Amino acid sequence: MSRNVHLLFVTMVVLVLSSVLIAQERQAIDIAALGPQVGDQVPDFSLPDQFGEIQTLQSIMGEQGAMIVFHRSANW
Amino acid sequence: MELQERHEELRQQGLGVVAISYDSEEVLAAFAERKSIATLPLLSDDDSSVIRQFGIYNTVAEEGVGPNADNADVKADVEKYVSVFGAGQAIVGTPYPGTFIVDRQGRVTARFFEEFYRERNTAANIMLKLGSPVSPISGMRGDTPYLSIGAYQSNSTITVGSRFHLGIEIEPKPDIHVYAPGAQELGYRVIELSLEVPDFIQTLPVVYPSSEIYHFEPLDEHVPVYLKPFNLVQEVVVGGSPATSETLAGLDVVTLTGRLDYQACDDEVCFSPTSIPLTWTLTVDPLDRQRVATPE
Repeated sequence: MSRNVHLLFVTMVVLVLSSVLIAQERQAIDIAALGPQVGDQVPDFSLPDQFGEIQTLQSIMGEQGAMIVFHRSANW
Repeated sequence: MELQERHEELRQQGLGVVAISYDSEEVLAAFAERKSIATLPLLSDDDSSVIRQFGIYNTVAEEGVGPNADNADVKADVEKYVSVFGAGQAIVGTPYPGTFIVDRQGRVTARFFEEFYRERNTAANIMLKLGSPVSPISGMRGDTPYLSIGAYQSNSTITVGSRFHLGIEIEPKPDIHVYAPGAQELGYRVIELSLEVPDFIQTLPVVYPSSEIYHFEPLDEHVPVYLKPFNLVQEVVVGGSPATSETLAGLDVVTLTGRLDYQACDDEVCFSPTSIPLTWTLTVDPLDRQRVATPE
């Protein structure tokens, strides 16, 4: 019985501590610092388009480069 | 879709264009069909793996439906970066929306991200309701190798007959200049803002600040340029007709898109002409403030 109480107590302490840690680990969002910066290489990708064709960075590349637009969703 | 409409133009400039979202192929196929998007590739990153590889996965959306959803900081970020209506499972997996321009080697030459998701609109709306004057609202910021650019607007809310201005703050990087009006006579490309606006919006000529004369020694030319930070201002008028009123009644927001075209040069070299996409988002105020009060 006392062992169960002890376990419960330890579990609660761990839970409280972990929520404190989660709260502290949260960092302010700095969108300008996210993702490749000017001069950095972007990762290659291989994704299907609306017609089911696989597109890569190379396949969409133009003579002068490319514009890669990230949208939230086409659906809403 | 504005990007599809501009796709051909961008392609003629030698730029490949691609749009990436977390939607499934089926959703994208239906959307493309509905909006007649035949040439612009819409890519399906339905497990968000590419969005994560790019480092722009919206972590706040996940937090907003996670165990810390009630945390005040999380809530504030959700309003900023996810939705003013709170987080939902449907938004998990989305990126922070933005655009990368890359060269042929895949190196970023420019990037554009909205700093806040709709935040500027709602904040300004609240300020208006409180009767506070609304100061210029910063919109998007961009950085290119030669210029830093910020787009702002004098109003966040428009209504029938509104007159307001859109601005761009431009800061040439050290030793870089761009061309001011008058330089076209010497064959240089003057920095230029073009806007795409709906029928009910009218644009006035862009106001250019005074420039300075630059002596380009190799050719012994004296050319009007901008070397220091400057602003371009575009005045915009919303139509006042009943038709406009009807159109606006059906809209929550109006997004104005534009393009900044310029050629940047240093003391020795001129770099390829560049085109930068710009957007301004304005909330539509459905209230008719001109209405005269009538007794009941």
